[in-house]
Amino acid sequence: MLSQFSYQRAASIKEAAEAASRPDVRILAGGTDLLGCLRNQVLQANRLVSLNGLSALKGIRQGPGGGLRLGALTTLTEIAEHRQILDSYSVLAQAAASVGSPQLRNQGTLGGNLCQRPRCWYFRGDFKCRRKGGDTCFAEGGDSQLHCIFGGASCYMVHPSDTAPALVALDAKVSITGRRGTRLVPLSSFFVLPADSLVKETVLQPGEIVTEILLDPPQPGARSAYRKVRERGAFDFALAGAAIVVAMAEGKVRTARVVLSGVAPVPWRSTDAEKTIIGKPLDAAVAVAAAAAAVKGASPLADNGYKVPLVRGILEETLTALAA
Amino acid sequence: MPETTAKPWGETKFVGKPIPRVDGYERVSGTAEYPSDVVLPNMLHAAILRCPHGQAQVKRVDLAKAREMPGVRAVLSDADKEAQIPWYAPPGSPGSTGSPTASRLFDPHCRFEGEEIAAVAAETPQQAWDAVRAIRAEYNVLPSVVDMEEALKPGAPAVQESGNRWGAPRETKRGDVAQGFAEADVVLEETYRTSCEIHTPSEIHGSVVRWDGDHLTVWDTNQGPFGIQAPLAAAMSLPLSKVRVISHYMGGGFGSKLNLGKYTVIAAVLARKTGRPVRLFLTREESFRAVGNRPAHIMKLKAGVKKDGTLTALQLTGLGEVGAYPAGTSVGYQVGDLYRCPNVLISESQAFINAGPNRAFRAPGFPQCSWALEQMMDALAEKIGMDPVEFRIKNYSAVCQMQQNKPYTSAGLRECLTEGARAFNWKDARLRSKGSGPWVRGVGVAAGMWGSQSGPPSTVRVSLYPDGSASLNMGAADLGTGTKTVMALVVAEELGVPLDRIQIENADTGTTEFTRPSGGSKTVFADSPAVRSAALEVKARVLEMAAAQLKLPVTDLAFQEGAIVAQGGTRKLAVRELTQLRAQQVVVGVGVRGPDPVDKVVRPFVAQFAEVEVNIRTGETRVLRLVAAHDSGRVMDLLTYRSQVIGGLTMGIGFALTERRIMDAVTGKMANANCHDYKIPTAKDVPADKTVIPIDLHDTECNTTGTKGIGEPATIPTAAAIANAFYHATGIRITAAPITPANVLTLLEERRKRG
Ligand SMILES: Cc1cc2nc3c(=O)[nH]c(=O)nc-3n(C[C@H](O)[C@H](O)[C@H](O)COP(=O)(O)OP(=O)(O)OC[C@H]3O[C@@H](n4cnc5c(N)ncnc54)[C@H](O)[C@@H]3O)c2cc1C
Repeated sequence: MLSQFSYQRAASIKEAAEAASRPDVRILAGGTDLLGCLRNQVLQANRLVSLNGLSALKGIRQGPGGGLRLGALTTLTEIAEHRQILDSYSVLAQAAASVGSPQLRNQGTLGGNLCQRPRCWYFRGDFKCRRKGGDTCFAEGGDSQLHCIFGGASCYMVHPSDTAPALVALDAKVSITGRRGTRLVPLSSFFVLPADSLVKETVLQPGEIVTEILLDPPQPGARSAYRKVRERGAFDFALAGAAIVVAMAEGKVRTARVVLSGVAPVPWRSTDAEKTIIGKPLDAAVAVAAAAAAVKGASPLADNGYKVPLVRGILEETLTALAA
Repeated sequence: MPETTAKPWGETKFVGKPIPRVDGYERVSGTAEYPSDVVLPNMLHAAILRCPHGQAQVKRVDLAKAREMPGVRAVLSDADKEAQIPWYAPPGSPGSTGSPTASRLFDPHCRFEGEEIAAVAAETPQQAWDAVRAIRAEYNVLPSVVDMEEALKPGAPAVQESGNRWGAPRETKRGDVAQGFAEADVVLEETYRTSCEIHTPSEIHGSVVRWDGDHLTVWDTNQGPFGIQAPLAAAMSLPLSKVRVISHYMGGGFGSKLNLGKYTVIAAVLARKTGRPVRLFLTREESFRAVGNRPAHIMKLKAGVKKDGTLTALQLTGLGEVGAYPAGTSVGYQVGDLYRCPNVLISESQAFINAGPNRAFRAPGFPQCSWALEQMMDALAEKIGMDPVEFRIKNYSAVCQMQQNKPYTSAGLRECLTEGARAFNWKDARLRSKGSGPWVRGVGVAAGMWGSQSGPPSTVRVSLYPDGSASLNMGAADLGTGTKTVMALVVAEELGVPLDRIQIENADTGTTEFTRPSGGSKTVFADSPAVRSAALEVKARVLEMAAAQLKLPVTDLAFQEGAIVAQGGTRKLAVRELTQLRAQQVVVGVGVRGPDPVDKVVRPFVAQFAEVEVNIRTGETRVLRLVAAHDSGRVMDLLTYRSQVIGGLTMGIGFALTERRIMDAVTGKMANANCHDYKIPTAKDVPADKTVIPIDLHDTECNTTGTKGIGEPATIPTAAAIANAFYHATGIRITAAPITPANVLTLLEERRKRG
């Protein structure tokens, strides 16, 4: 049951940024994540500031030179069904389409998807873990089957977002507005590891609001895909997944981005896998080598060793499919 | 009129047809009032403080702050005398299950996370929860154990003072298994494990209660109000006549709503304290922990077979996960009965753990047993080079070995297997290429039976009015299964009254008569004969009236399609024209369920077939199609029958692939008490390609409607058929449910390492 809070519908980004800079205020977009956090006492809030009156944050616009500007309030359904995204950024359309269920995609926004809190069952449940100010990571001695194999330290959650790895693979940038102005951050530097912070998952400062996500024009010869493995057909987060963007030239891989979901506290870019395929034709042997390279540094916990072959399997399958 | 005098139906006009629900509009449009919809004037809302630890002794509960919170009208804890109500059936109390330790409504020794500690009633639900959060409870946190094998180790934390093993192992023995194994050409042994599942009905558990003087009225979501009324009356020290339980509509239970809930009693005490009606419905999170589950099981199964396919011995050693308080976990029945086997030894033990006690869950014990027995049957068939369907046909038992080899009133397992195999195209499907990967395909079969409970007692009233319309009054609840529709069809069949002219009153202890709650797939076979008997009595009275009016002997008259027909159809009298009926305005027929057959056994049978595909790179498993062939006797309504089977298949997919409760071993708390981490199947997990095949052998001996029950059989062998298909696809026996990518990848890696 939700505790009491007041509600404010911001009339401007500035108003929202100002209101949200107080520690007891939370920003509300689609609410699909925030309301669950409040209901389960994961966070407290005395006031919610809704962005939903801000039309500047809504919809998809053309960017300079053929790119796209995605408003933070764009729903996941809009992203998944957008003609140009389907054609030129299929990794993002596929990632958005793989989120939750139709209801969640109709209500959930892109900004909210990037800023959602972890889904670790200890964090969400009635366990006072380090990320909630406690002194224990319950995954260390408990059930760690859904936890990370890369990047963990003191906290072993995995980043829950499907669109984040796709956007990192597309080298997207995020536009952030706070009380002191606007800054542009590459999405690959937007998320923070537990080693850097145990209380937040992004570089956002109090009061800062994600306003837009900027996509560069698609590269010539680009191909991309998002593959997500989950335990059931819908309404489920990734056990592991991969967002891959490659640009081909003369039968060889010119540039590549391989970003994993479900395996690390941030979207996990595998430069080792990228290096393995750049300059080579995309074939089965290269796919196997890249998959092996991607899991080299993995350090599984007691219950999640399966994620190593899983990541390998996903990359072998997806890279092979991209070759076709 | 005793129902046993009724003759079996021949050709039927309503029964067996695909008839939409009589209350479909109400259910779909939202006008149906479920207990959770009930709003009474002046009603308060209650919420419960629950133990946040795996095991703890409550040292102190400080209610002072909560009592002062806005809107709070009453608080309740173990300190209140009126709340010191015995619970979990302590020894000597009515309905005792031999609990080693007496417990109370708010017992200071909490043996699982989620046990009730205190409650609040306030003007709004929000105020009630704010007040619950303001209660200060101090605990002495005790060590807990949430794994049944761990619980039985020396030095394990004690769940119950008398020890974590509940009772001595129960043994069922036939012949001599040692000799049976010696005679076998092949002996296999395997340990199978199933996971704890949560019922997760759509409507969460709860009640709305109101006192009128010393009369207690309860709107409660349950599987039969008479199963709630008696224990509630006992808990509140009231006579049955002063406790009325109403559950016209309810949103599913799957076995978890056969029991009286603590929430009902807490609401009743709070309502008495405040003099106002109280609504107390649980949250989904609470329902994951505190209102039952399908217990996990470990089953060691050893089986011997001769080269020609004759079973020589079956030995099951089972361990069931009770939870923190006594509740049975038996799984052995099918091992002793489904297949002909002269030598059987079943030994079952049960262990307490610090988790919510289990409750009946759709065919309690049977899907677990099938998971073991049907995978073993598959493995045996493979070893002796026999087709799995043939092997089952060779071994199925035509008599009830668990009851002195009594014959069945009807036994259609062979037909289920052969008709199912034909519809599935089994032979071809077995031979088809499995594919070269990463997706590989396979097919599997599993058989099963349900040990249905007996029918009586049930008392039903049918009334006929002078305008030819009728009413049906019965105690049975409609769990969403279509009970009302099926029973109305019986009235329509006998009295020729169209469904839209039948008024149905059901599931209200204040206005309807006793029947046991809906469990054991019993409702149709327990209550439909009583309905039929009541309708036949109405018919007899009407014919007597007509005979007097027409001055003809009763034997010359027939009742056809709502009219009385005489002299070969030349004279017809409509019900409307009966002067005596107009004078007395109503004819009432009272029907009771007659006894079950004594020298024969009533059992439904089933065979299900599955095709799956497995990704050997990622460990994903998808069910592609299912065929379910069922001998459940007569089909009463083809639509509700199909719905039951499809629901059972869906639940079986959850058992096989996605559902399991996860307990954190360090804290003793449930890790996945939410709907995204506890995974019931979605529409995307259930194949569109599902075929339901009713096998009706015209059973004229089971009862007067020829029905045997479909709700539970529908889910018994599904998971096992999927596991067998998984093996056919991959060559890997997955003995532990569910078949998740994690489990599959772990087994694939082991195989890769073995080379
Ligand atoms: C059952 C379930 C299943 C789900 N499955 C998936 C899944 O498979 N994959 C997946 O990726 N996600 C999943 N989600 C998570 C998530 O809710 C959605 O993906 C959605 O996109 C979140 O967007 P929202 O607008 O509803 O966010 P909100 O709930 O409104 O906000 C989420 C968080 O972000 C902050 N926030 C929102 N917008 C901004 C902004 N513009 N600037 C700064 N901060 C902001 C809020 O303060 C809040 O902390 C699931 C959620 C549920 C409940």
